[in-house]
Amino acid sequence: MFQKMLRIKAFTHLGKMQSGEMHLTEAVLEIPISLEVPIGPQHPALHEPLMLKVYADGEEVVKVEINTGYNHRGVEKLFEMNNFYKGVFISARICGICNTVHADTYVRGIEQLLGLEPSSRARYLRVLAMELERIHSHMIINAIMAEILGYDTLFMLIMRDREYVMKAKEILTGGRVIADYFMPGGVRRDVDDIKRNRILDLLKKTRPRLEYYRKLFETDPTITNRLIDVGVLRPRDITLHGLVGPVARGSGIKTDARVEDRYDAYGEIDFNMVVHVEGDSLARMLVRWDEALESLKMCEYILTHLPEGQAVVDERKLPRVLPPGEAFTRCEAPRGELTYYIIGSGRDRPYRVKVRTPSFHNIINSGFSYLGYSIADVPVILVSYDPCISCMERAILIKDGEKKYIRLRDIANMKRG
Amino acid sequence: MSLWREILKNVFKKPVTIEYPKVETPIEIDFRGLQYADLNKCNGCTLCALECPSKAIEMRKLPENVKLKHNPRGLYPVINYPSCVFCYRCVTICPVNAYVTTNEYRLATETEKLLSDTLSLKTLKSEGS
Repeated sequence: MFQKMLRIKAFTHLGKMQSGEMHLTEAVLEIPISLEVPIGPQHPALHEPLMLKVYADGEEVVKVEINTGYNHRGVEKLFEMNNFYKGVFISARICGICNTVHADTYVRGIEQLLGLEPSSRARYLRVLAMELERIHSHMIINAIMAEILGYDTLFMLIMRDREYVMKAKEILTGGRVIADYFMPGGVRRDVDDIKRNRILDLLKKTRPRLEYYRKLFETDPTITNRLIDVGVLRPRDITLHGLVGPVARGSGIKTDARVEDRYDAYGEIDFNMVVHVEGDSLARMLVRWDEALESLKMCEYILTHLPEGQAVVDERKLPRVLPPGEAFTRCEAPRGELTYYIIGSGRDRPYRVKVRTPSFHNIINSGFSYLGYSIADVPVILVSYDPCISCMERAILIKDGEKKYIRLRDIANMKRG
Repeated sequence: MSLWREILKNVFKKPVTIEYPKVETPIEIDFRGLQYADLNKCNGCTLCALECPSKAIEMRKLPENVKLKHNPRGLYPVINYPSCVFCYRCVTICPVNAYVTTNEYRLATETEKLLSDTLSLKTLKSEGS
């Protein structure tokens, strides 16, 4: 039992006896000491709905239950009911911050089914879009961490400098957040020399800011006092619970799908895998800063070494019906390994699309890591895992609050490709 | 090392935020803003309505006084901007490149000035056909 019980002896009143005297019986009462503190689904520390039921003994956390399902939108079913090319845009809407990696993984799955190979220039541009996204994703989570620590000035400053990257993404893809840049066989718009120089100028402005913030996170006592030795994960915990991405790399586990798979143009671009061995919250945040700097280096390399050729694909010439088959692709999202499993049944719609997102591992399996820390540390540890709730809600809703019940069989029979 | 120097520097700077109604937001020329069909090119093939991921495009009949030779079915696409996700799939899939793209992101409108059907029908009048 996780709940500690306080046992006290007490007398209970059972009623009057015939003689009129009070009859008192001795009994043992059990009163729980541990307090149940719900964090979420609506909470200032959380930016998306997630429920952490924290059981605390005094200030010390003794158990954490993680409840999800507040943000389920049935995206996987939506894939099955729409054709393959609509799915490219649906996959980008799974998550706002990491929309390009979702679209890229899905598009590479369709390319596997079709047997298409994008041009070298298109592959470089895809990596550029994804790395720009990685920079702004890592900046936003570090900004949120500063906000959680009560350091709102730093939050504002990081968000201000994040706009450089957002502008670069707007120049490249035509959308500030949602890129809609990927299409089987290539990308949807090209860069010319003017755009290239503008993006390079913006990246030049971003670099000193990233270096400054990285140094600040390492040295500022406001941050280090709250982050060092909080939420320590040993390498054993990581492999035991299957945590991925910067969380794993913050504990010295060398795992990075970009290095392992060398998909898109990652095989041709030189970059280092960032690994920190400390395993605490600060190490995870520093992994993100170092990766953002590494991504910046990659973006500059891509823009200066962009190969010639055709990058934009003519969408009118793509086949509507795809051959039957299966495709499995994976990608290193800003939060970790992201996989797509697509089954085509020889029609214009996929039979099944299974999405497995990094936050699913990192949040649902992380209940053990809060134990022994104080309640005030729980939001800090949670944010250091970079939770992306909209990504991870993949469960199927079986019943709703009304009397209407939906059976799994009905969902399966709804409409399938 | 702390943030004091950075904060003091910012005290004497202008705010980075944009005073929106007075100053226009800097936006790219090829930003994916609102788009509408040019009826001088559109042949009413309905492909954009079929391919729209958010089902925002509805094919409507042309007004009765408008007869177009290149549009035998007399249909034209009307985009419901509140449900449009601005992915520009309709623009790239159109076989006759009939869509006009703008970088207009301000979709609130008092009159019917910025509705898709108004904008589309206006293209017809400007040509005088």
